[in-house]
Amino acid sequence: MMQLFRKQRMWRAHELKPSYDVAIIGAGVHGLGIAYYLASRHGIRNVAVLERGYLGCGNSGRNTAIIRSNYRTPEGIPFYEESVRLYERLSRELEWNLLFSQCGHLTLAHTDSAIAGLRVRAENNQVLGVDSRVIYPPEIRKLVPTMDMSDRPRLPVLAALYHPPGGIIRHDAVVWGYARACDRMGVEIHPHTEVTGVRVARGKAESVITTRGEIAAGTVVNATAGWASMVAKLAGVTLPIVSHPLQACVTEPLKPFLDKVIVSASLHVYVNQTDKGELVIGAEIDPYQSYSLKGTLPTLEQMASYTLELFPQLSGLRVLRQWAGICDMTPDYAPIIGVSREVENYYVDVGWGTYGFKAAPAAAKLLAELIATRKTPKLIEAFSPARFYGGQLVGEKAAAAVSS
Amino acid sequence: MADSSDRFTFQFDGETLEARSGDTVASALYRAGRRIFTRSFKYHRPRGLLCLAGKCPNCMMNVDGTPNVRACITPVRAGMAVRHQNAYPSLDHDWLAAVQRFDGLMPVGWYYKTMTHEWSWHAAEPYIRKVAGLGIAPEPGNGSKDYEHAWMNAETAVIGGGPAGLQAALELGQGGSQIVLIDDQPELGGHLRYRKRAGDVPAAVIAQLRSMPSVEIISRAYCFGLYEGNLLGVLHANPHAGAIERLIHLRAKRVVVATGVYEVPFTFENNDLPGVMLSTGVQRLIHLHGIKPGTSAVIVANGAHADEVADDLRGAGIELVAVLAPGEVISATGSSHVTGIRTQNGEVACDLVVMCGQRVPDAGLLHQAGGKLAWSDERGAFLPVDLPANVKAAGEVTGASLTRAMSLPPKHVPFHKRSFVCFCSDVSTADLRDGISEGFDHIETLKRYTTLTMGPCQGRMCQLAGIGACAHETGRTMAETGVTTSRPPNPSVTLGALAGPRHHPIRRTPMHDAHDQSGAVWMDMGEWKRPRYYKSASCESERSCVEEEYRAVRERAGLIDVSTLGKLDVKGRDAGKLLDKVYTNRFSDLKPGRVRYSVLCDEAGIMLDDGTISRLAEDHYFITTTTGNLDFVQQWLEWWLVGTGWDVHITNVTGGRAAVNLAGPQARDVLKTLTACDLSSKAFPYMACREAEVAGAPALLLRIGFVGETGWEIHFPAEYGEYLWARLLEAGKAYDIRPFGVEAQRLLRLEKRHVIVGVDTDALSNPYEAGMAWVAKLDKPDFIGRNALSRQAEAAPQQNLVGFVMNDDAVPQDGAAILVDGALAGRVTSARYSPKNGKAVGLAWVAAKSATEGTEIQIRVNGSTARARIVPEAFYDPAGERLRM
Repeated sequence: MMQLFRKQRMWRAHELKPSYDVAIIGAGVHGLGIAYYLASRHGIRNVAVLERGYLGCGNSGRNTAIIRSNYRTPEGIPFYEESVRLYERLSRELEWNLLFSQCGHLTLAHTDSAIAGLRVRAENNQVLGVDSRVIYPPEIRKLVPTMDMSDRPRLPVLAALYHPPGGIIRHDAVVWGYARACDRMGVEIHPHTEVTGVRVARGKAESVITTRGEIAAGTVVNATAGWASMVAKLAGVTLPIVSHPLQACVTEPLKPFLDKVIVSASLHVYVNQTDKGELVIGAEIDPYQSYSLKGTLPTLEQMASYTLELFPQLSGLRVLRQWAGICDMTPDYAPIIGVSREVENYYVDVGWGTYGFKAAPAAAKLLAELIATRKTPKLIEAFSPARFYGGQLVGEKAAAAVSS
Repeated sequence: MADSSDRFTFQFDGETLEARSGDTVASALYRAGRRIFTRSFKYHRPRGLLCLAGKCPNCMMNVDGTPNVRACITPVRAGMAVRHQNAYPSLDHDWLAAVQRFDGLMPVGWYYKTMTHEWSWHAAEPYIRKVAGLGIAPEPGNGSKDYEHAWMNAETAVIGGGPAGLQAALELGQGGSQIVLIDDQPELGGHLRYRKRAGDVPAAVIAQLRSMPSVEIISRAYCFGLYEGNLLGVLHANPHAGAIERLIHLRAKRVVVATGVYEVPFTFENNDLPGVMLSTGVQRLIHLHGIKPGTSAVIVANGAHADEVADDLRGAGIELVAVLAPGEVISATGSSHVTGIRTQNGEVACDLVVMCGQRVPDAGLLHQAGGKLAWSDERGAFLPVDLPANVKAAGEVTGASLTRAMSLPPKHVPFHKRSFVCFCSDVSTADLRDGISEGFDHIETLKRYTTLTMGPCQGRMCQLAGIGACAHETGRTMAETGVTTSRPPNPSVTLGALAGPRHHPIRRTPMHDAHDQSGAVWMDMGEWKRPRYYKSASCESERSCVEEEYRAVRERAGLIDVSTLGKLDVKGRDAGKLLDKVYTNRFSDLKPGRVRYSVLCDEAGIMLDDGTISRLAEDHYFITTTTGNLDFVQQWLEWWLVGTGWDVHITNVTGGRAAVNLAGPQARDVLKTLTACDLSSKAFPYMACREAEVAGAPALLLRIGFVGETGWEIHFPAEYGEYLWARLLEAGKAYDIRPFGVEAQRLLRLEKRHVIVGVDTDALSNPYEAGMAWVAKLDKPDFIGRNALSRQAEAAPQQNLVGFVMNDDAVPQDGAAILVDGALAGRVTSARYSPKNGKAVGLAWVAAKSATEGTEIQIRVNGSTARARIVPEAFYDPAGERLRM
């Protein structure tokens, strides 16, 4: 509370030092998170976080800020559950309110086969201790009284996967909260410092070349999104990633209208209302690969059309902004976390598709542990880069169509 | 000028008020004496008319139930019901205005710095949500569907009907170009309509344009986005009586952007008080609506437009008290309306403050098109430069006529917590200074921290002042500070217009009405409607109806409509080659008159679809796909055909053909009454196909057995659909034939352990783990997925698709979890009560080490666990004798 009246800089500017123990590429929630856990949990503070643009300018500020752990696979569920747990405590830990509303998350089913898919998730969630269950129209109606539950829509709502701990958070606040905590522990954050090369000799990264100079680094971490495979290439590391845009939009504020996160895979859309009152609407990933951050009209029209299938009374509500982020998709829709095969001190925390934001605290904390101890924590074993060499894919793709 | 002879009434907050034709909601309210139009977002400060151009958030009201409507650009209509929003009990007395007294507790970012403990945040959040937000959404189900989509092409699209747009249209039109001119006002002329000193509306030019057949003028329409390929999103309000809005997709070879400039306010203390208005707003009230906006006015100007506005004020009979430079103004005074201006020399009393603010080029479209916005010290504005070749700027949007009215970055920014930059979210100059001092000194982070430019005005009122304050505080130049990204839609656009008429198609088979008459209970499958089961007098529940249908097929004969199957006709010399390449099974050696089943896989060996392929002639195949995957399979085949040079022609005949499956021990007896085709197993064996007439209709008969009985899938022209359906049922009457639906079919095939791709398999299933190794012909030289499949054939499986029989009466649901020794070990894909087995049977994915014959597994049923046993063979007729009979 006292910080309310204190005007303190969140993070300071620094000249680049010649050398760091760890150089992290990307100052989004993942990169800053890794630096935060390295410093706070393992005492590794001689860390530089390098960012091409401003803090959180990538997917950390472009996602729809949905947090949940109702995944499908035995690998995914406990990992995302760990992330939700960390998020629950993070405001207190960072002394920075992340505005985490655990308002509840509903994934709608409009067909029999979708219900079966939701049931698989509910069952696996329950077995692994995650609060998640399939509910039917009478209960859905009570939870979301403003949604059209009649048989008027082309595909009426038949059931939903209800996940009470799911919710939304203020995404930028997570970036700033981590950045401030990093700065206070001596981690250096370098915005507007683009990495243009990584010098590798004898299978080991020696230094990172940036637009502001070259720095030696004991360990290099790629915590980028959208361009992760291109950044990895700078060190000669290849990643099985294809990048697709994902678009979202936001409307003018309304008085409280919807206090649940609504996702419909059949309608390719998800909707929630922020504390400020705006509706945030997201689409599924664009069907083509691209690095374009421009919104397209057909996708905006599709988002509007499907939103009105669920909430026809919003036809007069105005869309204020549309934007896109670039999603790095892996063959199995699961991330790649761990040390690279090609370069022994080059770590990756990439391939986050459409689920990177909700995973950030867990991924960052566990990767920091791996970097500090050289032992792979159990929760990220399944996400190792090695799995692509052994055909050990993770089964999240099956649940992923629209996975926010 | 509003026509004073035509008057009518409308409602505001239940009160009946008079309006004149030509009025907007705002002008009518202003004439009726209303000065407070809204309450601000955070502090609930009173706000009045400011821009009169739909560019600021100050007049957003609820009109006929629609929230957040800009009253100043909405024509008022007789009987309209207008209500205020975000104030209680009324605009003039809003209890939440008391919040202002605690503003010391709510500096910028206050909500990040407080309530950091979960408990306090969970306690506070519901109240914060309640006071946030603006308008109230209409009641559920009250959405209008009267929105339209239209498509147009133009050689040249001209955006803006002011002098520059008109001139550009005239010149290009005379040069022979086909033109669409988009203007957001009810009448052409732009600022000349209300800025009398700037010249007259060029009536001759307008008349000439209207007479040119190659020029189309769309008024009351604005362009909200310039997308790639010069696709313009145009929103046309009230295109005709039957539509609220029409979204026009306008594709233009060339675009001329003549959107002009808009005016933004100065920042001084209390610059948001009602009565403090922009000069163009005042001019609009005077010249467009014939309203005298006040009695005594102060002009705040840097010289540029002061004389012009002074003329207008005098002409309207308003006393001009003073003309001040912005630097002289300390604050506006007053509580609910301006009463004066305080300067270092004392206070000047007035009831109207006219700000001749900086003019900002309305260049968002040019920015979206790929142009850059470059700061010009000389013009005091960000000017559009580096435009793409086929996009041009014309008129004031280029900044050509701007003068540097403000000193930017300002030498002196009056940082004050009541000096507002952002009217949407109550962001003051003091908030900006505080945010910058906390480290949010990049314009993009400052925007996200303070919410500057993120409100309903989309940054129009606040962006320039925000950049100025940021530049001032950081010691950077305006150019170094830069602008935030301009994103469509800008101006904002309704969900309804974007969604359009919302036609979500329904596909019905040719026999739809016949099913309806037979009591079909419908289900959706992709775009199609299919009978789930048929209600009849003899059964009550779904389960008993399905069981009756099941018994008909197992014991006598049943008929199901399978017209929804995807049907592709593949012809050409190389058709077999293509199928060999795309499907896992081999087709080049299939004999004409034979049918073969196959799956198709992606490069990773994942099964994407399955179906039967019949060879009708040497160069002619007929493919069926699953109902939902037709488009995908067709695209997939065409994709792999590209560049091969092969002679293959793929035709989608799904809509043109109806299909039924006639199955059961007596299917042959039924069918033979309608066809001369020899149906004996000798002449027409299992997995054969024949073209023959059935009841006089040309048909293709496939002898296949999805449900596990002797049967024929009969494909025939869709126009015979109802006829043949009726004839088959009639012919089957003697055998007590029954139509059966999807549920019975699923049960029948499950007893046979026939897999449904997409139901029993998912995005990670390969044929080996699914127990369908036979379907992949690895000895073929190459096909899609062969590499991966070769590896999978060798590798130890991680999981297997297995059949199971329950030990007791429990019936698991599709999707139920499977446990082995209490740990998660798989999932049920399909399970049904099997009348044949007297117990539920099903298919499940089970971890490979547990997926062995006879293993006992546990399945979760209603939250507890039930036991089941893994069995290797089909639950019904494992030898497959019945379908060969």
